[in-house]
Amino acid sequence: MAVVKFIAKRLIQIIITLILVMTVSYMLMYYSPGGFMHTTVMASVLAPLQSQNPILYQQVMDQFNSRYGLNLPLWQQIAKYVWHELSFDFGNSMQNPSLSIMSQLKQTLPVSVDLAVGSVVLSVIVGVPLGIVAALKRNTWIDYVVGTVSLAGQAIPAFVLAVIMVLLFGVVFPGILPIAGWGAWKDAILPVICLSAANIGVVARYMRGSLIETLRLDYIRTAKAKGVKYWPMVMNHGVKNSLTAMITVIGPQFAFTVMGTIWVEQIFGIPGLGKVMQTAFTSFDYPLAITSVFLLGSMIMIMNLLVDIIYAFIDPRVKL
Amino acid sequence: MSQPLLSIDNLHVRFARSEDEVYAVNGISFDVYENEALGIVGESGSGKSVTLMSSIGLLRENGKISSGTAHFQGKDLLKLKPRQLEDIRGRDIGVIFQDPMTSLNPIMRIGDQIMEAMLTHRYASRKEAFERTLQLMHEIGIPDPKSRFKNYPHEFSGGMRQRIMIAIALACEPQLLIADEPTTALDVTVQMQILALLQDLRRKRGMSVVMVTHDFGVATNFCDKIIVMYGGQIMEMARTDQFIRRTAHPYSIGLKRSIIEVGHRGKEILPIPGASKALTEEPVGCPFAARCSFATERCFQETPALRIYGEDHHIACHHAEEVARHAV
Amino acid sequence: MAGTVAAARSDALNQKIKNRHRSSWYQGWKRFKRNRLAVVGLVWVVLFFLAGIIGPWVAPYDYRVGDFLAINQGPSWQHIFGTDNVGHDMFSQILYSVRSALIIALGATLVSFVIGVILGLWAGLRGGLADVIIMRGVDFMMTLPGFLFALILVVLLGRGYWSLILAIGIPGWAGYARLIRSLVLGMRNGEMVEAATALGASQAHIARRYMLPNVVGSMAVSLAFGIPGDLAQIAGLSIFGMGLQPPIPSFGNMLAAAGDNILGFPWLLYFPAGIFAITLLAFLFVADGLQEAFSPKGGN
Repeated sequence: MAVVKFIAKRLIQIIITLILVMTVSYMLMYYSPGGFMHTTVMASVLAPLQSQNPILYQQVMDQFNSRYGLNLPLWQQIAKYVWHELSFDFGNSMQNPSLSIMSQLKQTLPVSVDLAVGSVVLSVIVGVPLGIVAALKRNTWIDYVVGTVSLAGQAIPAFVLAVIMVLLFGVVFPGILPIAGWGAWKDAILPVICLSAANIGVVARYMRGSLIETLRLDYIRTAKAKGVKYWPMVMNHGVKNSLTAMITVIGPQFAFTVMGTIWVEQIFGIPGLGKVMQTAFTSFDYPLAITSVFLLGSMIMIMNLLVDIIYAFIDPRVKL
Repeated sequence: MSQPLLSIDNLHVRFARSEDEVYAVNGISFDVYENEALGIVGESGSGKSVTLMSSIGLLRENGKISSGTAHFQGKDLLKLKPRQLEDIRGRDIGVIFQDPMTSLNPIMRIGDQIMEAMLTHRYASRKEAFERTLQLMHEIGIPDPKSRFKNYPHEFSGGMRQRIMIAIALACEPQLLIADEPTTALDVTVQMQILALLQDLRRKRGMSVVMVTHDFGVATNFCDKIIVMYGGQIMEMARTDQFIRRTAHPYSIGLKRSIIEVGHRGKEILPIPGASKALTEEPVGCPFAARCSFATERCFQETPALRIYGEDHHIACHHAEEVARHAV
Repeated sequence: MAGTVAAARSDALNQKIKNRHRSSWYQGWKRFKRNRLAVVGLVWVVLFFLAGIIGPWVAPYDYRVGDFLAINQGPSWQHIFGTDNVGHDMFSQILYSVRSALIIALGATLVSFVIGVILGLWAGLRGGLADVIIMRGVDFMMTLPGFLFALILVVLLGRGYWSLILAIGIPGWAGYARLIRSLVLGMRNGEMVEAATALGASQAHIARRYMLPNVVGSMAVSLAFGIPGDLAQIAGLSIFGMGLQPPIPSFGNMLAAAGDNILGFPWLLYFPAGIFAITLLAFLFVADGLQEAFSPKGGN
């Protein structure tokens, strides 16, 4: 029962946050220079029309305004818009009025989710062992190498790494791995590696610190006093306890991974949410832009919620 | 008497710090016999815990045993490889620690934590270990063991957790139990219960116990023999009844008086003038000299040897006889 | 006899403590110098700043003027980093990019910092409802990546220097606000100050000896981490086609533009990507070194 209550409470928080984000985005775009008519297609078509045939122009404008509800008072526009978004009725994009936003997302969103999930999995698989090794060999050269590489991974954003990867596998060692496109599983290797570098760094550094701290705790001494051998002691008492704390780090990190996908997709030419978002923002396609912000935001926050729930299941001390 | 179970001889332990070294234990020797309870009493920093932890390989990383031996069942524990020590810890020597709130793994069921010791040493099969765990939980006074088996440490009180620690330590029926301040972190009433339980378990098993404590009352109530430590050295060592009747070392007398003055057990011992300091140099002379009202020039220059003072009574003081005259 | 020894010892100890406090900056610098990566990073960062300041005077070519007789050329003595598809000298482009990157990154970090300090002080000093609301705002900003807000702001503000400084700077306040608030709260009821007061230190002495190094150290560390973060965001916006409006050179634009003809003319990427990556690394190594040297938790 407590779990249901907790989840309900958090979902309400998420919805309030989303309403806030969408309201702010909507108002920003409403007041932006040119307003909603700033769409590049609209501008190129309508500007000549305005001077040549003012009556027709007015008709088109009225039609456009009523279609997107732009003739209502601002607060009604926002309320209506937020309501539509929350009920996943995204409408059509302005750039491509014949194409529903839902259909664009249906094709692109799964691609980005695949990339992000792949990256989180890879960063845990690589980062956790690296962190364990660094912790157990602390203050040796292994520790310094892991620390420096992790820091480097955190320093260089995914898109810079993506460019470097493209250079590496496009120019220096061509033909080993595909550097563009989407379809085969091989296409995902480089993008996922680029996305994971920062996460691996964060996971490894956090794991190292957490394990070092855990291994100093009293219950580790109890395990030693029981005669538990080194590796079972490290794994069952050290790593397991450090990992529970690790989950709280992975959650927020996922947010940046989702963000990173939209860059990496640019460089590797992957038809994901990033591509849609880029088109939306650069062509001032507001409905599409706000919807993609809405989706990114809700994905991130739902991921964080999931992490909290998983954490409560793993650590018996945490009560929801 | 027969061969001692544990025999520590001339043990020296140092701790490395960032800029200097701390001389924690400086030449400790004592024996623990079968079916005997030995109490080691001293202030924090006197080296009493370190002595025992170093002999079973549980020193902190920066600690180093510089010399000495610790014979247990004919083997020198200090010369064993870590793996060989792991075989002895938990099977032949059980340990309980000061703080039951932090000494249990918070995300492991307590039943599993008790079973782990048996399974590690292949003391019992999984099924037998499970049965034995329930039995142990019953024995140490946890009602309804079957349902409590699956509980986590945070679902128990401090006293209950210390009982669980005892069950873990006793899981493989060790011959020797090391109890490092087992009651210090507990409420006074719970202290008494835990001590009574330990006494009972010890009697039933004929097990030897070394109890480290700063609490004189606990030590004299529980133990057959008392060692008083200061500055990493033994000040006085005697059978408990002897010790109570003829306390001889100025430090022991101070300790005893402080208890009487404070009026009840469980308080830190304060009223001895001065404070103990970590020794950062090779100690010269009696470590207590700076705080001792009987100290003479000799006390600062010559380390007093542990000498026979009476029947089952040893003391390390140049002026024990003079002190006795004053005390009367 | 024992008394005099003890007194001498405690005098020596006092002297030691005094020395340590008098030179807490010097001690920090000493710890920083021991971190080789941080020192190397610092050298690069200094060079980067120099390039940003004197770049336009030493750049061999004007960034706006392309040499149509020399397009897409590899590195040569005339154009040491080669030229792009309209004949821009890449070396000059990079020098100008350093300047644009620094202007925006420093500006944006300053904007974030100023907002953060104001809100953090307000929350920490006023407490009560102001504190609750501001901290809620911090939580809100922390849930979503700042880049998302930056994107939306760019749509509103446009793609010039000022707009980018604001677009990147405004969403970045939350971390600083939280830091400043915790410093304020820590100062109000800090153990360190309490201990110093108990020892009879004067208010001014406390402020100078204990609070200032602590506060300045923490702020320097967070700013040092903030600048490379903002550098990355600027480039990230360009990748998205929302960064500085070409033809103003910027690392992001070079990375984004060269993507199309990467296989034919890889040098168009070697230098911008390499220099940009090294710069971010250098900034982070410096930040990491500062953290180890000055933050109270560091050291080990």
